[in-house]
Amino acid sequence: MNNIVSSVAAISIIYTVLIFLIAWYAHHRKETGRSIISNPVIYSLSLGVYCTSWTFFGSVGKASTTGIDFVLIYLGPSLTAFSWLFLLRRIVRISKEHNITSIADFLSQRYGKSPWLGALVTLIAFLGIMPYIALQLKAVTTSFFMLSGFETGPGAFITVGTHTNIPIALFLALTLALFSTIFGARRLVSSERHEGLIAAVAFESLVKLIALLAVGLFVTYGLFDGFIDIFEKFKTINPVKFSQLFTFNISKNDPNYISSFTLLFLSMGAIMLLPRQFHVMVIENSDERHIATAMWLFPAYLFLINLFVMPIAIGGILTTGSSSGADFFVLSLPQHAGYRGIALLAFLGGLSAAAGMVMVESIAISTMLLNHIFMPIILKSTPRAWFPILLINLKRFGIFLVILLGYFYYRVIGDSYTLVNMGLISFSAAAQFMPAMLGGLYWSRGNKAGAISGTLFGFLIWLYTLLLPSFGKSGWVSEMLLSNGPFGITLLKPTELFGLTGMDLWSHSLFWSMLFNVSSYIICSILINQNEQERDQVHKFIGIFGREEAHRRIERKRLSKPVTTDQFVTLMSKFIGEAESRRALDLYYSNRDITGNGTISEFELPDMKRFTEKTLAGSVGGAAARAIVNNFLSDIGSSMEPVYDIFSSVRTNLDQNRESLFVRLKASEIINRTLDLQVIMDDLLRLLVKEFKLDVALIHAKSSAGVYSIASIHGEALLDANPPHWYLENVPFYDLVYRDQKAHFINDLRLERAAPVLDLTVTEGFISCAHIPIYREGEPVIAVLSLFSKTIAGLFTREFIELLSSLAGQLAQAITIVQEIEARQLERSQKEAALLQTARITRDMEIAQQIQKSFLPDSAPVIAGIDIAGRCVSAAHVGGDYYDFFLRNDQIVDIVIADVSGHSVGAALIMSEVRTLLRSETNSFRSPSNILETLNIQLYDDLTRSELFITMFYAKYDAESGILSYSNAGHNHPVLQSTDEFFSSELDTEGLILGVKKDVLFEERSVKLVSGNVLLFYTDGLTEACDSEGNMFGTAGLYNHLNTCLHLPAEKILDSFYATIHDFTGSQNLQDDISLVVVKIL
Amino acid sequence: MKRIFSHMIHRLQMRESWIIFFILGIIMMTFPFLHIFNKPTLLFGFPLLFLYLTVGWIISILVIYLFMLASRHEDKTPEEKNDL
Repeated sequence: MNNIVSSVAAISIIYTVLIFLIAWYAHHRKETGRSIISNPVIYSLSLGVYCTSWTFFGSVGKASTTGIDFVLIYLGPSLTAFSWLFLLRRIVRISKEHNITSIADFLSQRYGKSPWLGALVTLIAFLGIMPYIALQLKAVTTSFFMLSGFETGPGAFITVGTHTNIPIALFLALTLALFSTIFGARRLVSSERHEGLIAAVAFESLVKLIALLAVGLFVTYGLFDGFIDIFEKFKTINPVKFSQLFTFNISKNDPNYISSFTLLFLSMGAIMLLPRQFHVMVIENSDERHIATAMWLFPAYLFLINLFVMPIAIGGILTTGSSSGADFFVLSLPQHAGYRGIALLAFLGGLSAAAGMVMVESIAISTMLLNHIFMPIILKSTPRAWFPILLINLKRFGIFLVILLGYFYYRVIGDSYTLVNMGLISFSAAAQFMPAMLGGLYWSRGNKAGAISGTLFGFLIWLYTLLLPSFGKSGWVSEMLLSNGPFGITLLKPTELFGLTGMDLWSHSLFWSMLFNVSSYIICSILINQNEQERDQVHKFIGIFGREEAHRRIERKRLSKPVTTDQFVTLMSKFIGEAESRRALDLYYSNRDITGNGTISEFELPDMKRFTEKTLAGSVGGAAARAIVNNFLSDIGSSMEPVYDIFSSVRTNLDQNRESLFVRLKASEIINRTLDLQVIMDDLLRLLVKEFKLDVALIHAKSSAGVYSIASIHGEALLDANPPHWYLENVPFYDLVYRDQKAHFINDLRLERAAPVLDLTVTEGFISCAHIPIYREGEPVIAVLSLFSKTIAGLFTREFIELLSSLAGQLAQAITIVQEIEARQLERSQKEAALLQTARITRDMEIAQQIQKSFLPDSAPVIAGIDIAGRCVSAAHVGGDYYDFFLRNDQIVDIVIADVSGHSVGAALIMSEVRTLLRSETNSFRSPSNILETLNIQLYDDLTRSELFITMFYAKYDAESGILSYSNAGHNHPVLQSTDEFFSSELDTEGLILGVKKDVLFEERSVKLVSGNVLLFYTDGLTEACDSEGNMFGTAGLYNHLNTCLHLPAEKILDSFYATIHDFTGSQNLQDDISLVVVKIL
Repeated sequence: MKRIFSHMIHRLQMRESWIIFFILGIIMMTFPFLHIFNKPTLLFGFPLLFLYLTVGWIISILVIYLFMLASRHEDKTPEEKNDL
């Protein structure tokens, strides 16, 4: 007998060594960077850790006692797999982002990094998994002794040497613990994947599948003649049992009956919530894409492993005649048939199933223990140099603790339960995480209070209605309590809580625990508000999938005293070791383009703090990491105070994380600093490139001709050196952006075939790019902001694009403002120039007027017997009126009055020409008509060219004879009045206006003037002067007034005329020039 | 045939169809639906319920496999990427 024991033991040890080698090889491959486990098939196989020895042995056991409902435990996970593409991918993504180490860490981080929730989840997992580990130990021990033909039982010993007796189960437990320690607790960083372990687990999954298929084929086609043969034989031999096993039991009297819904529900939850499942699915996931394959491969695995369970079970019943000992039919059938090889394979399959589960489970739980139970206690003391050693050993201790506790549970409970029932206790415990988990992922209001209270209630009810009764059968708990309830209160009887009878043990427990769990979770979440920390975390878990949460506060802390990076390194070294922390810090700096060793600025500090927290979280869990860093910061004597005030000006309703807030702040600083657009654009691009690790950033503007030119560029030297350049490929995008005013981005140029081909860009090494319109709402696009990255694929998330668009909006605002300012300045200078011009012209005109005035005679000539006066008052600056006196000798005087049409400078020039021509006649004694004729000929060309005319009245007075001879060229007729008698006449002759025709004859007449005669020469300005109602002064007004002032001297007559005209028009400014000449015969 | 296949793949991309299949699976695994097959008779020599569950399981695996193909297909279209 001892020989058989030894050989079985030897094979077990050889097998263990084989697994060890596989694990070591995988680990070695990982260290050298050529991972063998990073593929979807291995991932799917590692999920097979779900199938423990419970599956391997227990399924057949359950199939032959309660029938086909065992299959629900595997159908549940197959159904859950439907949801993985959303649910699991989401969990994996969140976990990777936050360095999550376990399901306890996940829940704790989701609910405000609550240390209490983490501890509670750990406790539940720890206690809940105990029966499960016991189950594995029981299965392997039993199968070991069955194979070697020994008596079975928890106290069974094997004899090593001659005197030392070791309980085989303990030996197994210690071996597994050692293996787990070697591959699961080599290093402290528990967010790191354990490739050796996963390789071993995947291999074991393969072994157990092959073993079970081998046994199944052996029973179905070796012992019997295929499926149909087994089923038909069974139906004829034992129709009652057939009906019992191949239908879901509806009679509830059977003590083994479990509601099919309960089984389905528990297994659906367990596949994701059991700590080991969470560990292999989430923490050990190397690539999100593997999930898609696992979604169908894993259910297929479950299907295959269960395919032969029913035939084996029935084959067992048919062979042995009963279903007692059905838990080990897998082993006993081939063994009793004499096929020891198959039996041995079955044993190894069972061993694999148990070992894989125990290892992963113990590592997962020990991580949780370390992070959520030990760590918070240790943190109360000051960090010391030997902390890393303590921590890693605590983790190892945790592994031993978990496995040994399972061992003791096994010793206590022993054989009182079937394998399946022990497993279901664990499933029920894991189900308690479900409300907090699902709520945490999809319900943003789910809060810490709800999660803690719900989980706690569910756990207590599980403890009371399920774990406690499981002890009952072993005699540890008084029978009285179980059958009559505590203190005889039947209402509180653990298996019939609150009088709920008629349900099986599992459904009963599930109903009450879920009722309290879910309702407490919902009620507390609704009634109690989330604190700031919780909201922060909610956003990280739910917000990253696009749901925006308004009014999130921004946490930014300030230190009153500068901190150095070395201090952070020292802190981290205390937990993860110096080398590890240096490496992390180097990575951090290489990502941020800043140098180490200096003091940390206020802006840098929150990021540094976050980085430290995240790094530590990978080893000690999120809650503990936060506590460590906060303790550290308060220890170095710096008070932390919120500095919301700095950011109040830039805080918006939009949810923003710190980086984007920082960039917004910097951007607005840049924009407000200067009005130089070039400087603004350059600085802004520099900021974007630096903060977001971009490689090239440029701003393109389109000219009116439709050609794009680079307004600003950062990150690459001159682009136009060697066309065609890669960036030219992107021009179609600019057109697109200009057209639809939307941001266009490509997150992975290698994967996405962009519509405009970007081959050169890809060749250049760029992997993502974005083009953002720079424009103000409701206005056309001003320019395009283009960003390119060579390193980061998937950089342009929706949030990031929103941030960039908002910055582009700010820039557009700045550009518009600058442009407006420039336009206003231009307008002002134009106006100034115009004013200057006007002023110059005005001055010129004034000068011209003065010159013109000087052309008019200063004073009238003095001739005995007559009194002459003349005056001109101009309306505009220069005018066309002209009068003059030419004294031919002391007796003869020529009097001329003229009006050049218009009031332009041209008229003034013509006037001066007239004057010059007339002056040249000074010494001639020609007659007035003669003079006019000559003048007309002389002026004709000039007048025609300038389209002007002249009216002129020319008179010659001889004082000696008293005869006035005169000629008129279309001028107003002078008025002749006499003071003695009311005689009045107008002087008129035939004659055309000057400048109409070249050869014109002017009539000449003469009149004898006598004493008392008053002669008034005037221009049309006098008679055409209007009052405010538009009535003209007219010739009537002229006569009327002249009659009143005939007695006055000539000069006074002029005065009174001008005064009257001013009174008449009611204004000091004349509408037209008025020139008057008065000749009074004394 | 190929067109029907690609059309089906396209329909499967909709998230709703995932949820519908998931709920359908749960309904088919529970009473009263199970009652139909919950009879101790043999069909083609297989117990009826055994056959139902086995065939149903295979179908569900095939459906998920098709879903996966659909999701691969979906991954190639850029706009859906961040939509989870």
